[in-house]
Amino acid sequence: MSRKKELLSKVGLRLDGRRADELRRIRCKLGVFTQPDGSAYIEQGLTKVLAAVYGPHQVRSKQKAQHDTCIINTQFSMAVFSTNERKKRPRGDRKSTELSMHLQQALLAVIKTELYPWSQIDVYVEVLHADGGIYPACVNAATLAIIDAGIPIKEYVCACTASLGNNDVPMLDVSHQEEVIGGPTLTVAALPMSGKIVLMEMSQRFHLDHLPKVLDKALEGCKDIKAILDEAVKKHIQDIGSSTGWANTTS
Amino acid sequence: MSLCDAEKTFILHGVKENFRVDGRDREGYRPIELETNIVQHAFGSARLRLANTDVLVAVKLEIDVPFPERPFEGKLEFFVDCSANATPDFEGRGGETLAAELANILTSAYRSPQTFNLKKLCILKGRKCWKICVDILILECGGNLFDAVSLAVKAALHNSQIPLIKSINIDGDNIELNVSDSVFDCEKLDVANAPVMVTVCKIGDQCIVDPSLAEEQCSVGSVVVAISQEYFSTVTSIGKGSLHPRTMCNSLELGQKVGIRLNKAFMETLHNIQPDEDVGFLK
Amino acid sequence: MFTTKSFIKKNKIGNFLKNVREHYIRDDIYCGIPTCNSCKEVSNSNLSEKHKNQCSLFKYNHYIILDTNIILDQIDVLEEPYICNVIILYTVLKEVKNRSLPIYKQLSAIIENPSRHFYVFINDHHKDTYLAESEGELINDYNDRCIRKACSWYISHLPKEHFVFITDDVNNRRLAIRENIPSYSITDYVKHIENNSLLEDKLSRKDHSNKEGVDVYPPHLSTGDLLNSIKEGILHQGTFRASKDNFLEGYVNVEGYKDPILLQGRSGLNRAVDGDIVAVQIFNKDEWICPSGIILEDEAVSGENIDDVEEKEKVLKESVPKNYEEIQPTGKVVGIIRRKWRQYCGILQGGTEGVYQLFVPADRCIPKIRIETRQAEFLKSQKFIVTIDSWPRHSRYPHGHFVRALGKIGSQETENEVVLLEHDIPHSQFSEDVLSCLPKLPWIITEDDVKKRVDLRGIDICSVDPPGCTDIDDALHCRPIDGGRLEVGVHIADVSHFIRPGTAIDIEAASRATTVYLVNKRIDMVPELLSSNLCSLRGGEERFAFSCVWEMDHDANILNTRFHKSIIKSKRAMTYEEAQLTIDDKTKTDSLAESLRNLNKLAKILKRRRLENGALVLASTEVKILMDSETMEPLDVEVKKMYETNSMVEEFMLLANISVAEKILQDFPDCAMLRRHPTPPAANFDPLVKAGKHLGFNIEIDTGKNLATSLDKACNKENPYLNTMLRMLATRCMLQAVYFASGTLQKNDYYHYGLAVPLYTHFTSPIRRYADIIVHRLLAVSCGSDSTYPDLLDKQKTTDLCQNLNYRNRMAQYAGRASVAFNIHLFFKGKLNDEEGYVLFVRKNALQILIPKYGLETTLYLVKKGENSTFEYDEENQSQRSGDVVLHAFDPVTVRLKLDSSNIQHEKFVLQLVKPVIPGFSVLPINELQESSEPNTAIEKKRKSDNFKTSKKNKSK
Repeated sequence: MSRKKELLSKVGLRLDGRRADELRRIRCKLGVFTQPDGSAYIEQGLTKVLAAVYGPHQVRSKQKAQHDTCIINTQFSMAVFSTNERKKRPRGDRKSTELSMHLQQALLAVIKTELYPWSQIDVYVEVLHADGGIYPACVNAATLAIIDAGIPIKEYVCACTASLGNNDVPMLDVSHQEEVIGGPTLTVAALPMSGKIVLMEMSQRFHLDHLPKVLDKALEGCKDIKAILDEAVKKHIQDIGSSTGWANTTS
Repeated sequence: MSLCDAEKTFILHGVKENFRVDGRDREGYRPIELETNIVQHAFGSARLRLANTDVLVAVKLEIDVPFPERPFEGKLEFFVDCSANATPDFEGRGGETLAAELANILTSAYRSPQTFNLKKLCILKGRKCWKICVDILILECGGNLFDAVSLAVKAALHNSQIPLIKSINIDGDNIELNVSDSVFDCEKLDVANAPVMVTVCKIGDQCIVDPSLAEEQCSVGSVVVAISQEYFSTVTSIGKGSLHPRTMCNSLELGQKVGIRLNKAFMETLHNIQPDEDVGFLK
Repeated sequence: MFTTKSFIKKNKIGNFLKNVREHYIRDDIYCGIPTCNSCKEVSNSNLSEKHKNQCSLFKYNHYIILDTNIILDQIDVLEEPYICNVIILYTVLKEVKNRSLPIYKQLSAIIENPSRHFYVFINDHHKDTYLAESEGELINDYNDRCIRKACSWYISHLPKEHFVFITDDVNNRRLAIRENIPSYSITDYVKHIENNSLLEDKLSRKDHSNKEGVDVYPPHLSTGDLLNSIKEGILHQGTFRASKDNFLEGYVNVEGYKDPILLQGRSGLNRAVDGDIVAVQIFNKDEWICPSGIILEDEAVSGENIDDVEEKEKVLKESVPKNYEEIQPTGKVVGIIRRKWRQYCGILQGGTEGVYQLFVPADRCIPKIRIETRQAEFLKSQKFIVTIDSWPRHSRYPHGHFVRALGKIGSQETENEVVLLEHDIPHSQFSEDVLSCLPKLPWIITEDDVKKRVDLRGIDICSVDPPGCTDIDDALHCRPIDGGRLEVGVHIADVSHFIRPGTAIDIEAASRATTVYLVNKRIDMVPELLSSNLCSLRGGEERFAFSCVWEMDHDANILNTRFHKSIIKSKRAMTYEEAQLTIDDKTKTDSLAESLRNLNKLAKILKRRRLENGALVLASTEVKILMDSETMEPLDVEVKKMYETNSMVEEFMLLANISVAEKILQDFPDCAMLRRHPTPPAANFDPLVKAGKHLGFNIEIDTGKNLATSLDKACNKENPYLNTMLRMLATRCMLQAVYFASGTLQKNDYYHYGLAVPLYTHFTSPIRRYADIIVHRLLAVSCGSDSTYPDLLDKQKTTDLCQNLNYRNRMAQYAGRASVAFNIHLFFKGKLNDEEGYVLFVRKNALQILIPKYGLETTLYLVKKGENSTFEYDEENQSQRSGDVVLHAFDPVTVRLKLDSSNIQHEKFVLQLVKPVIPGFSVLPINELQESSEPNTAIEKKRKSDNFKTSKKNKSK
């Protein structure tokens, strides 16, 4: 029975050495590919996600076209080697369909779709390494890719997970190891500036009493992530700006 | 990508003049970028960029039972996934035909025992062996996918570390294998003979290698040759169109010549590649 | 601040995966030293500047840093409160955890004890002490490097303080000294501790200086060679089993050979100890021999002399029969793959002077162990524990060290300890951690509690238990309600209210799994405060309960079942006897008596119905040992008395368990913890069917119901005990009932054979069984009064848990029996009794005799060593004949019972036949023994009449 590891050690460190309220290291980059209209790459700890955006372009199947808005088409896919145990198929299973839908849901909340009637935007995410918090990483990567594609959005949409360690302490940004060991995982996609929640999902039952503090923690995490993403976007713009000479003229 | 006739003619003339659109001659390759060990939780991996063709390969290991007809050999399997990131056409099951074609050609290129020694992967005769799963993810298509894939596979296999078996406990039909949990207690694979593929593309009356996406559009027919050291391990013609036997011979010759050169240069690079801090897609 | 760690791990289906984990390196980890100013204190440290380690090697006070090998090898030394102010590096802690979980637990207990001043320093997340693994480096070297790095960091971090590094790894010590870290071996350190008293005895010694230079054993091959050779099929791997009777023989079962591989002699066994996993080399067929079949005991008294072994080996060689039909594959041990050494109980051999002594383990499969001790005189009278440290080539015996004394040989307490240890029963004191989970006294019921529970305090509830029971986990009530129906309630102590999942107390209880009852000792599963107070449904006290309430009609048909948590106040805690008296006393008409009567009435109906369904009534000989409360010596042994009320309580408990099982299975089809009793395979019943046939009964075994009916029919008026004996035999044919998670089996496998119910679980004794706590939690979720937690819903986790519970239950049962057996031995010490008994089995050279009065089963040997038997064995009829006396199975006999104490570790009963009289074999009854001067004729006459009786009886069958 003692095989069960403690999520939080007595001195307050998690298994990987983080404290309960710390995010994993986030690194990201916009414009990693040339062919798509927008692309981004994000690392949250070891979780690595590539996102590509095509569009807005003409709707591929005419029936689906909408006269007042644009369709957001999302596809979530995981490389077969992304998980520790090799997956049999990269997509098409129920979980990835579900994640595609959730991603679409998050993006619909921020993209100004009314600007592009009769058109379509494709957002593809590819998970290269799944080490916990896949969905948040996908949302964050997609946000960056959308920005890279120059599609107008209302504000950033960021996502983060939180869990409950030792049945008491809320923990931010759950790694795969922690997911496996146990404890519920709360996934939240939020608009950090307005503080609205776009999507909330919970992996296991846990007591309602704990929900507020875990949710607070997750929202806090979204805000932190937003700051990091914002930084990356600014840097990216500076980079492409300077390469075209804008930076020089403005400074 | 669709080209107009004028563009096609322009490319055609370029090939004829041995001065292609991007300035290469007919036997020239575009720049190749290679990075290994990019997928940390795989036993070996490589990312290869050939101009803007982007391929990510990861090697995973499984314990399997050898084929009854080859009790002393391990297994090698290829799986190709065309990510929709490369083009919306691959969305859903759109990339499966191409993926299957790539996987098949790789399988046949590696089938000969001269290309890759499967015997080393046998753990216990007829009962346990390693199965190497080579998973190829196509991230961007900028032409000449076959060459890029074969090089990336070779690099990933070169990078792979097979754990050394520490103990075998046999208990009836139950075989328990144990390896050290250190990633350093590993064995490297020998990829000196692993095939490299060269796509020879006939444009007009001439044959070229490493066609770009635009050049592929103008091609009349292509032959993929897999070269292991100086031998052919597989030859497949792909795409539409037909080739005259003589043209075929010429292309094979060209393929072999380029293949040997490419392999030599590539092996050198592989040996010189230094373990570097992870840069990956952040570069 | 960031790095990754990779390692390869095997998954469930045997594939190897490469795992990568993040590893964050921090700058805010506290060093733990109270005088440090530069670290920000974020966690408490037990280290104290006031405590001084007393060691004459140093003139200054110092902090100690231990190497992993010290903790693994010398935990017995560390347990003593001499070495304090110790910094445990996280690297060390992790390594200990990986290498040995029990030692890790011991260490954790020490760390948590504030008086020991231990502190865990998280060195591998500290920016200055983290080191990356380098290629080609062995994991041990890496750990050593980390440890040294931490040591030198401490020294530079706090130049004013002194740090001492203790390691037994010579190489590590050398490197440490080179890096200017003061390092010593544990032996040096302990020797210089002031007033170390007997600490030195506890040192484990691994340094074997080979002074004699004579190698007694052939060398072992290296692990690498072994594995390669096994891979190639040259060597074979298997578990070594030593022979109980011959210390120079052993067996190894290996794959590919039907017979076990025989090993003989010193070179054959080559230092293998019972249980070890060894590699054997099998000889060519022409060298194969057959087992010697002789008994050889290691009679050596002193250490290293090997003459007598050589002598015995010669004897062994000569005694090997040259019988080519019975030859077995033979081989020799060439290497040890894994040692399975544990702690052994035993006594000192004695007979020699000096510090080197021989230890004789109680388990005869284990060789004697050489120990170094300065307290031989004291140990001579003690049973104590020893562990093996090593077995070098030049030493005839394995080397070990004294761990602790259990107590005086033959005393109650010592034997209890031995029983507990040998059955692997966790019985240490509850740790601080566990105790801190207990509710604070005085415990009061709050308004909140009342709101969440159904208040049943007004109902007349009572409990019925054996006398002297302090852990009362069930109480009952029965009252008439509208519509001429009865409301029956079973109220079970709400232990899960106090034991919350995942807490230390929960983990401890899960590991203990059950309360263990020895004759005069109870090893609680949960601390006493809960078991005998807060959870115990004592009379007149308000307690939390989990109630199962039925509405029944007067024919005991359940009309409605409900479950809820409640508060109850038991009116009275009764014994079975009191309850029985209350029921029988017609003058009592209060509500309590009425409800008991109703309960009793319903119980009878329930029982009848159950038996009609094919539930088995099985028998076992359960005895109760009356103890003298002062001397703790057994006064008398009696068979447990059964009242009607026993069965009454039992019926309702069964009913509650069944009802709960149905409910939890319905709500948790995948992870409900149930209990099943598998249908035994028909072959198991062979002895029963055979025995029945000899007696002329046809025992049908195809279904439980048929078995029950045929057992009911098998009665003999002349031998009323016969039926009981048949039932006892039937009991032995059964398989063990086990816990399981519902999702792991097919529905028809849930069946409980003994009770003949399709579903069963344990719900009614949460104070003493952990399974019940799990069931309580499941049920609490079902009825909405509690929430689940991940492990509860995890099929795999539940299965793992079940395995532990089943194991512990089995062990607890064995331990209980062993304890009874010991006390019966104690009771018979120095006594000589003639007792009535029955023949249970007839064997080739012996009779198995059951003495119901003591629940004792022993062997009566019919052939004495070196004598010819007067008995003829008839296998067909299962009988033994001597002259005209024929002994069948189940025949009554009178035997004389004597305890043979010549071997102090293995006392055994010696039986002699008294009746029927067989000339030259049987002995005189005790009462006649005193008058043995009586003329022979009287005996003769008596014998005749006896013979007559016996033969008549035979005819009557």
